[in-house]
Amino acid sequence: MAMAALRREGRRFAPLLSPRPIAAVRSSLVSEEDIPFGARSISTQVVRNRMKSVKNIQKITKAMKMVAASKLRAIQIRAENSRGLWQPFTALLGDTPSVDVKKNVIVTVSSDKGLCGGINSTSVKISKALYKLNSGPDKETKYVVLGEKAKAQLVRDSKKNIELTISELQKNPLNYTQVSVLADDILKNVEFDALRIIFNKFHSVVSFLPTMSTVLSPEIVEREAEAGGKLGELDSYEIEGGETKAEILQNLAEFQFSCVLFNAVLENACSEQGARMSAMDSSSRNAGDMLDRLTLTYNRTRQASITTELIEIISGASALEG
Amino acid sequence: MVIIPATTGQMGVLPGHVASIAELKPGVLSVHEGNDVTKYFISSGFAFIHGNSYADIIAVEAVPLDRIDAGLVQKGLAEFTQKLSSASTDLEKAEAQIGVDAHSALNSALTG
Repeated sequence: MAMAALRREGRRFAPLLSPRPIAAVRSSLVSEEDIPFGARSISTQVVRNRMKSVKNIQKITKAMKMVAASKLRAIQIRAENSRGLWQPFTALLGDTPSVDVKKNVIVTVSSDKGLCGGINSTSVKISKALYKLNSGPDKETKYVVLGEKAKAQLVRDSKKNIELTISELQKNPLNYTQVSVLADDILKNVEFDALRIIFNKFHSVVSFLPTMSTVLSPEIVEREAEAGGKLGELDSYEIEGGETKAEILQNLAEFQFSCVLFNAVLENACSEQGARMSAMDSSSRNAGDMLDRLTLTYNRTRQASITTELIEIISGASALEG
Repeated sequence: MVIIPATTGQMGVLPGHVASIAELKPGVLSVHEGNDVTKYFISSGFAFIHGNSYADIIAVEAVPLDRIDAGLVQKGLAEFTQKLSSASTDLEKAEAQIGVDAHSALNSALTG
């Protein structure tokens, strides 16, 4: 016990031993600066350093999880309320994801920051699959990318198909004005027959499902209305006002796109926070496990060095006597 | 019953209304539930009246009337009228006109 106390204070156990030149015991994995000069025994410094850094990581990831949880609470209410924005459009126009059009534009919504699990990779995977699905003779598919993470992944192999990229969406809190300006931008600069918006819909804190919302251009709406189905009932609606049906449909399509995009962006932000929560949670749990294992190693090393010292002392003492 | 501010004027919607799509202009939306009337000022949007007596009203912004500040409305109206008279390009004229329309609708909503 006394030896352990002295060791903790970093002092040499000098009185019993003669001051002979000290050869420090070093393991091959250890560099010069890790072990204090003059240490005779197996050093626990390396393990101690690792334990310190793992403990720090655990604290940081735990803090990140708390931050993500609080952000999630704030944005979840807004996302759930924004669902009412696109529901009337679906009630009127139906949802036709399997519509066959010439010009498809895939709008991929992703996050700017990382450490949020696999949600961005799933969005990109689905966008690429959609691209392949919609490719064919005289069909054209383009990407519009929102968020840095999807941009980084898509730029690698589909650079020439990306029409527009937008980042730093969440610099200011998300609001409808910002999204409507964005939607306006996209509608003006990109020609489309159908817009397919890919995002992660927030179902619960642990489940986010990649979802695709389809917005059709007014011409395609007319075409599908003639073909029948849900859109066929569109003709039964009277158009109030002096505008022609085409003008109303144009306004409708634009408004629908901005509403759907607003909801998509909010849901994706929600999913991002939820995914980050669970990623940071598993990270801090892993760090905790690692810390436990390192503590065991540390104790073993410490006890081994104490035993070694004891053996040396005892054998030295018995050599002196005998 | 709801009274919606369509571009063609105030429109009253009762159950059994014919299915319609109406574009809305800035104005007052009043919801009559029995004897309760709740009034909202909406900036613009769409109203879908479905065949099964369901109406969906989608507005960009909807504010209960008691939350509107009359002083700011007057100031905004004056500002946009001035901008309209001094506007040079078509874009500026259109923007100023939209401001004037919205503010005068707000004004009449507060007074009317």
